[in-house]
Amino acid sequence: MQLVPFSYNLRSLLVRRSTTLLTVVSIGATVAVISGVQALQQGFVTIFENGGRTDVAVFLRPGATTENQSGFTRSSADVLLKSIPEIALTDDGRPLASAENYMAVRLFKVGGGETNVPVRGVQPMTMTIRANDLQILEGRRFEPGTDEIMVGEKLTRRIRGCQLGEVIRLNTVPFTVVGIFTDEGTFSSEIWGDLERMGDALQRSVYNRVIGVLRPDVDVPALIEAQENHPQVPASVMTEADYLMSQTGMISATLLGLGAFLAVIMGIAAVFTTTTTMQAALAARTHEIGILACLGFRPVSILLSFLFESLVLGVLGGLVGILLTLPLNGIETGTTNMVTFTEVAFAFRITPQVLGTAILFSILLGLLGGAIPAFRAARMSAVEALRRG
Amino acid sequence: MSSTTATRAVVDLNGVTRAYSRGGERLVVLDALDFTIEEGDRVAIMGPSGSGKTTLLNLIGGLDKPGSGSVRVAGEELTELSPPELARWRAGNVGIVFQGFNLIPVLSAQENVELPLLLTRLSRSERRAHAAHALELVGLADRASHRPGQLSGGQEQRVAIARAIVSDPTLILADEPTGDLDRASADSVMALLARLNEELGKTVVIVTHDPLAAASAKRSVHLDKGRWKSDGEGA
Amino acid sequence: MPIRLIFRNLLRHKLRTALTVGSLAIAVFLLCVLRALVVSLDAGVRNSTSDRLIVQSAVSLFVNLPASYLGKLQAVEGVDSVARLQWFGGYYQDPSSFFAQFGVDPEEFLDMYPEFKIVDGSRERFLTERTACIVGRQTADRYGFKVGDTVPIIGTIFQRLDGTPWEFQVAAIYELDSIVWDETTIFFPFEYLEESLEGGTASGPPGSGVIYMHLAEGVNPVNIAAEVDGLFENGPQRVQTTTEAEFNAQFVSMVGNIPFFVTTIGGGVLAAILLAVINTMLLSGREQRHDMGVLKALGFSDWAVFGVMLGQGVVLCVLGGGVGIGLAQLSSPEIAKLLGTMFPGFEMTSEILTSACTLSLGIGLLSGALPAAATRKLMAVDAFRRGA
Repeated sequence: MQLVPFSYNLRSLLVRRSTTLLTVVSIGATVAVISGVQALQQGFVTIFENGGRTDVAVFLRPGATTENQSGFTRSSADVLLKSIPEIALTDDGRPLASAENYMAVRLFKVGGGETNVPVRGVQPMTMTIRANDLQILEGRRFEPGTDEIMVGEKLTRRIRGCQLGEVIRLNTVPFTVVGIFTDEGTFSSEIWGDLERMGDALQRSVYNRVIGVLRPDVDVPALIEAQENHPQVPASVMTEADYLMSQTGMISATLLGLGAFLAVIMGIAAVFTTTTTMQAALAARTHEIGILACLGFRPVSILLSFLFESLVLGVLGGLVGILLTLPLNGIETGTTNMVTFTEVAFAFRITPQVLGTAILFSILLGLLGGAIPAFRAARMSAVEALRRG
Repeated sequence: MSSTTATRAVVDLNGVTRAYSRGGERLVVLDALDFTIEEGDRVAIMGPSGSGKTTLLNLIGGLDKPGSGSVRVAGEELTELSPPELARWRAGNVGIVFQGFNLIPVLSAQENVELPLLLTRLSRSERRAHAAHALELVGLADRASHRPGQLSGGQEQRVAIARAIVSDPTLILADEPTGDLDRASADSVMALLARLNEELGKTVVIVTHDPLAAASAKRSVHLDKGRWKSDGEGA
Repeated sequence: MPIRLIFRNLLRHKLRTALTVGSLAIAVFLLCVLRALVVSLDAGVRNSTSDRLIVQSAVSLFVNLPASYLGKLQAVEGVDSVARLQWFGGYYQDPSSFFAQFGVDPEEFLDMYPEFKIVDGSRERFLTERTACIVGRQTADRYGFKVGDTVPIIGTIFQRLDGTPWEFQVAAIYELDSIVWDETTIFFPFEYLEESLEGGTASGPPGSGVIYMHLAEGVNPVNIAAEVDGLFENGPQRVQTTTEAEFNAQFVSMVGNIPFFVTTIGGGVLAAILLAVINTMLLSGREQRHDMGVLKALGFSDWAVFGVMLGQGVVLCVLGGGVGIGLAQLSSPEIAKLLGTMFPGFEMTSEILTSACTLSLGIGLLSGALPAAATRKLMAVDAFRRGA
């Protein structure tokens, strides 16, 4: 079966330049919007996926699903810190476990308005556990036992008072920023300081959670079950990776839902646009189709030819859409994670998923849009086409 | 171009020149032409292609302006009118018949014929009556609701003629009216034009290179390269 | 001007007209929904009053105000009544079935919120019974709670030490006059919570999350707010006193720059549809060139011909816009239900619908003007040349 040469379709698209351009850019705008929303979702999810270690366990009060809801008294925390056999030890025999405080503190945004910033009070052992996860960009770590804090890098651009040397007041106590740090996960949206000093300032006598590095050979599910029913200090345990994943829930789902909704609605409009263009192309080339039919091209070939042309329109539109979205990559934004009610900063991220979805979507658009005209073209009889053209 | 009886000159062109610049060259289509048409005349303008006959028709109908010279038609000096004024003048004084019929495909025959009347102040029922009458005159009253796509070539041209006369213009201009028609339709169209001229007193100007069409005119004139070649049969 | 031609030409290619009207309808519908989302975010802010002030910790939303603050606030001159409010944060059966629960001072709260209308059951019972609660109409309908039912809520922040869920008896169902709250919340007496914590049957942070103050008539809220803030400047917990409007606005701004986000999406939608409609109109314009030339030859003015092309754009867009607006209006209640607590007060205001009309008209004029402008250059004489 002889296929209509592709160059015919490409040249036809070129000849009707303004129509092709308008259609391609229209589809491009649609793809750009959808890809933009998806890039937002990917940026959000990436932070949470990158942050969690699978060898670190998080201990929360039973029934609590986030740190905010959780609480341990000092004595309970002590038990967890010292007597869980599954926790690895340092070289000099101390458990790699640490207690932490977590609070959402109201601070002012750079552009105006307020937001809740996660503030984490940690014990010195946390810094040992996180030695390879964190990187100090400027300044230094805070000294344990002092009113010093270090600020996550993402906050420096979004929250007021986060530059080196500046002072942030927690309740009535001023804390000085002595360092700026970053990580691949969520900590670079947080402010860290000494557990006890922060607890005093914020009037908290309870710890929120305990973290610990697990020995390599630990049976995690067994640990989870054992700890739930622990006689002294029952606790809900999960790996840090799982914990972070559970936090993404609502926002990720909302963004994905929004993206899907837009994809369907705008997609339908885009299909309509493509059909209109291809139908007009068909009407203008009725004569040519008649000639093709007379030359011996079978209806299937004509069908495929038109489908190919609309496919090209769709793909070109997809490429334009991607080009329009690319500048977004890396642009930072922030929102409040409704699960923890704290601000989380993240950036648009054009991942392979975004690109893949865009291309698939535009291919689908092209095929669906060109279907009706392609069928009509194939069903034309040669004689009728030559006469009408 | 003689006139023995003292009839009015409906068309009077004097020293009319029309030229175009095309690709750096200046093409002279009409060269200092004089032309007079009496009221009630039926003239065929003939000539090879490129001789300027369509341009001449355009000038008479106010669809184009000469580079120099005077164009007096139906009492108006057309060179002094602005495009909107020309449009208004044309609506009231000229009926045009084209080679390609040029009917509006989405309108019925009746609606096509009514079209020029939209430019008048007639009421809807008056317009409908006039259009119906015009269709009757051309013998297509029974096709009033058909669309051009449902009519034969000859029928389409007759609808076009009905449209041309519906506002009772002084002048009917026809550019190759039989060009797209078979012999029988061509004959009936020319007969119709002759009837409109003789029974209704319309002045008819036809551009054609069909000698049989020209033969049905009262007189023919010949253009060659923008100038008159010779005078044809006069009446 | 031959108006008939406007409609006839649109009907010339029925599929094309239908598709264009369809995509316009979709785009206008989407733009209306997006705009309504943004508008609804402000609903809580818009409906707030200035005779209710809210005192919260200046430090964090999650820090409670000490119990001692209640008496001190009541003593401030100009303050009519005070009511405690504590976010309970529990869930019913499953964490994903989300609706809010608050512990409040029943009488003071209902008094300062006349917008609450008890539609079923007894307000008295809520005021006098220790474990009574009032339930919003939407949540009541969704889970089938009736007056007299016992609703078990599993606590997360506040947990009963015996591990059982908290149980509340439904005393009444409420509806709201205006969107100062939403109809999905459950309110129960704060004292029940306080007693359980003090009596050792439950664990959780003491104090109350925020305290609402109802001001006497004619009192200046700004002055009172400044006075209260100054009262607790040195602790134990610094406070921040705001009007109800500001309080609700803070929640809106927390979600991020939604208006900007939505505007950008809206812009993309608008661009896509505008290009699509212009495409259609230019296609039609090209096809109708010849006919327009004939009209000019017949003596129709340039403006008449312009009008025929422009008219097609306008009719197309008015139709498409009309369908889109109608769709938005009709589906608005359903969408509101879907969005639930996230966007309370989602509705198509007349402002949104009017802007949509104007927008459709604008698109129509623009997309019709482009091919119409092209006809101005079209000379009637072309009709002769292209006649064959």
